[in-house]
Amino acid sequence: MEQDSVIHIDQLSKIYTVNEREAGLVAAMRSLVKRKTRAVQAVDSISFSVNEGEIVGFLGPNGAGKTTTLKMLSGLLHPTGGSATVLGFRPWERNRDYLRRMTLVMGQRNQLLWDIPVIDTFELNRAVYRIPEPQFRLAVDELTDLLDLEPLLQKPTRNLSLGERMKCEIAAALLHRPSVLFLDEPTIGLDVTMQRRIRQFITDYNMRTGATVLLTSHYMADVEALCKRVIVIHHGKLLYDGELRGLADRFAPFKTVEVELRNGVRGLPLAQYGELMAHSEGRVTLRIPKAETASVTGRLLAELDVSDLTVQDPPIEDVIEHVFNQSPDPLDHPDRQRPPSE
Amino acid sequence: MFAYYPIYKGYFRTALMVQFQYRIAMLIWLLGGIIEPLMYLVVWRTVSEQQGGSVGGYETNDFVVYFIAMMMVSHATFTWIMWEYVYRIRMGLFSVMLLKPIHPIHSDIADNIGYKFLTLTVMGPLTLLLAWFFEATWQPLPWTLAAFVPVLILAFLMRFYWEWSLAMVAFWTTRIDAMNQAYIVVGLFFSGKLAPLSLFPEIVQRAADILPFRWMLAFPVELLLGRITPRELLIGIGAQLFWLFAGYLFMQFIYRAGIKRYAAFGA
Amino acid sequence: MFYFRLFATYVRVGILGELEYRANFWINMIQSALDLSVALGGLAVVFSHTDTLGGWRPEELLALIGVYFLIGGLIRTIIRPSMTQFMDQVRQGTLDFTLTKPADSQVLVSIQRIEIWRLVDVLIALPVLATALVRLGTRLGLVETAVFAVTLLCGGLIVYSFWLMLSTCAFWFVKVENIQVIFMSMWQAGRWPVSIYPAWLRSVLTFLVPVAFATTVPASAVSGRITTSTLLGTIALAAALLLVSRWFWRVGIRFYSGASA
Repeated sequence: MEQDSVIHIDQLSKIYTVNEREAGLVAAMRSLVKRKTRAVQAVDSISFSVNEGEIVGFLGPNGAGKTTTLKMLSGLLHPTGGSATVLGFRPWERNRDYLRRMTLVMGQRNQLLWDIPVIDTFELNRAVYRIPEPQFRLAVDELTDLLDLEPLLQKPTRNLSLGERMKCEIAAALLHRPSVLFLDEPTIGLDVTMQRRIRQFITDYNMRTGATVLLTSHYMADVEALCKRVIVIHHGKLLYDGELRGLADRFAPFKTVEVELRNGVRGLPLAQYGELMAHSEGRVTLRIPKAETASVTGRLLAELDVSDLTVQDPPIEDVIEHVFNQSPDPLDHPDRQRPPSE
Repeated sequence: MFAYYPIYKGYFRTALMVQFQYRIAMLIWLLGGIIEPLMYLVVWRTVSEQQGGSVGGYETNDFVVYFIAMMMVSHATFTWIMWEYVYRIRMGLFSVMLLKPIHPIHSDIADNIGYKFLTLTVMGPLTLLLAWFFEATWQPLPWTLAAFVPVLILAFLMRFYWEWSLAMVAFWTTRIDAMNQAYIVVGLFFSGKLAPLSLFPEIVQRAADILPFRWMLAFPVELLLGRITPRELLIGIGAQLFWLFAGYLFMQFIYRAGIKRYAAFGA
Repeated sequence: MFYFRLFATYVRVGILGELEYRANFWINMIQSALDLSVALGGLAVVFSHTDTLGGWRPEELLALIGVYFLIGGLIRTIIRPSMTQFMDQVRQGTLDFTLTKPADSQVLVSIQRIEIWRLVDVLIALPVLATALVRLGTRLGLVETAVFAVTLLCGGLIVYSFWLMLSTCAFWFVKVENIQVIFMSMWQAGRWPVSIYPAWLRSVLTFLVPVAFATTVPASAVSGRITTSTLLGTIALAAALLLVSRWFWRVGIRFYSGASA
């Protein structure tokens, strides 16, 4: 199991030292003489492994340490502690052979050159990655096909829409056919159709090449569509590592019950069944602790004039929100879950 | 007039604070303004020494004083607004300025004066240091000193209005590097920065009389050196007032046209 | 070889990118012409009052101006745009992309942006140099040509290394674009032979900001006034600065990735 893991990190930590700046002229003068600094633990001894071909969602609120972790894995940052190997390399040694086999896509940053046609940025990457011409042609054709780049390649980057640019960014990052992909918010700011498009592409690429993908996203739709497994970190600490479905069980031990009532909801003491989440004429949504699901639905059916009743897992957004609102104390979860081997 | 006082006070305070944040950049930007006159000082001092101590009515010491004074006057009157506006319009910062119920030139003036005020702490000692190093001697005439103050203020204002107006060209095109450059180069030849104007051929001197540049720089400098007669002083102030007024009219005109253009095309 | 091809690709892409802005050619042409007119105008005024300046004849100063524009053109074409872009990348975090590339980061950064139209400075420099040489009446033999080429190359390398070191400071201080202004401010002093400056300024222009090596030294090679020790010193300095800047770049990268923290 451990041997064929592509990414393996163990007790990885990163502490930043940041300057503190106060407002005002006097403080500014004081900072001339002495800078106040503060240590920030961005990543706090996290460990996990990712197997070949897996797509893993890396979740956490802003500042949780996701990007820092991705940067350490892509060789941009040295960790303060712990170890990591990707494809058998220690990333921060920045071995050329490693760099040729991985890629980093950052949704909020561009690597395409602003003023020149997209295809010329591709050419630059071809030169930098020393991709042989035939293989390069093949890669461009394939990516053009998968991402519908045909009309975009000859345009300068600045003339592309945000979504078009992102498609080209991703293509530029994959020309050398990396087998490990680090995607940091690849769909940020894109419209729903484009998000779906990119998602589909990631799935396709993963299927075709068997590449391993570690992805962060704020859009739960991305995570739900792409990742069977998620890793959740908060304040630099690992909170959860396991199946996406299991996340709800673990952190949101409740279900959503939707009830349709024949005679309307007016005057009914609905709050006694569970937390009232939404109600309209004839429809009620309740949140019920998981353990009580059976008994509460029984009572609902028995005591009210129910025409329809559905029990669902809560939406993943709610679960995540719930997770991050909880006090983050990973000591409560010392047994980090491993992905169940299927 | 006095209505502006609290506004300027506010601008001034923030300008000082902002510029203090950029103190290193501030010092670095001074460098160009120091090196250039220093370079010509050295060149002309060398020429003068080679020619037996005097060239075109300037003695070696006169050249030293001339270029040190030029450095100060040039520093006191220079603006960076022509580059600033390109940046503002490119970055879309100008819209914010337009939302304020006050003409944007005021914050620019306050900014400029704030900068000058802070940099005086460097330029003052530097002037003394250079004067000491190049063994400059200078006996100011009281009346020229008295006249120098309004002349310098007029020079500052006329330069500010003209350069601010030229900066407005950024509303039409943000690629105005060549224009800025042309302005600077023409200025170099006719303002007396390169060499005292009397060392230039007659035709350049006559052109300099007609153009505004001399009245921005060479005139205050020569006044400090005591090379201006009272009659020339009056003519000079007249020329300054004329160019200031012309600059003001030009500014009004181009600013209105620019705003119209800006409103039509956005940023 | 790989890096040579890489450079060629960057040049090609640079040309393509700049073709987008054809007007830039004319703008740069105007700017360079204006710059040249200041330099020549300055010379004209000076030499209307004297025959030599600090022992340099007009033709020799003309050669100096040619060298000044030649090296200045290279700075403006490659060094400054690439280094400016590098600083932007540090600030915006896009340097990360460069660092994840399987090639030497210093090379990638140093050639990443080529503003091809700035080469007009070089184009302008050539006739100026040619005129100076004709007026000087020096017949450039093989040795003189080689010495000139070597000093020119060393001058370029010295300027590059110096600039790289300044830019590398961006790893520690984010707002350092202005550092480039230091160089460009000092650079203009290179239009005149450094020998005319007072000793302290001469030392600054020679050792603190090595303008002298990029302008006065090659120009004196053309006019045959260079000494062997100056030549050897220039070569040694170029080699040393290249190594030091390389080392400093490595330190910067290590700092950036938190290895030294």
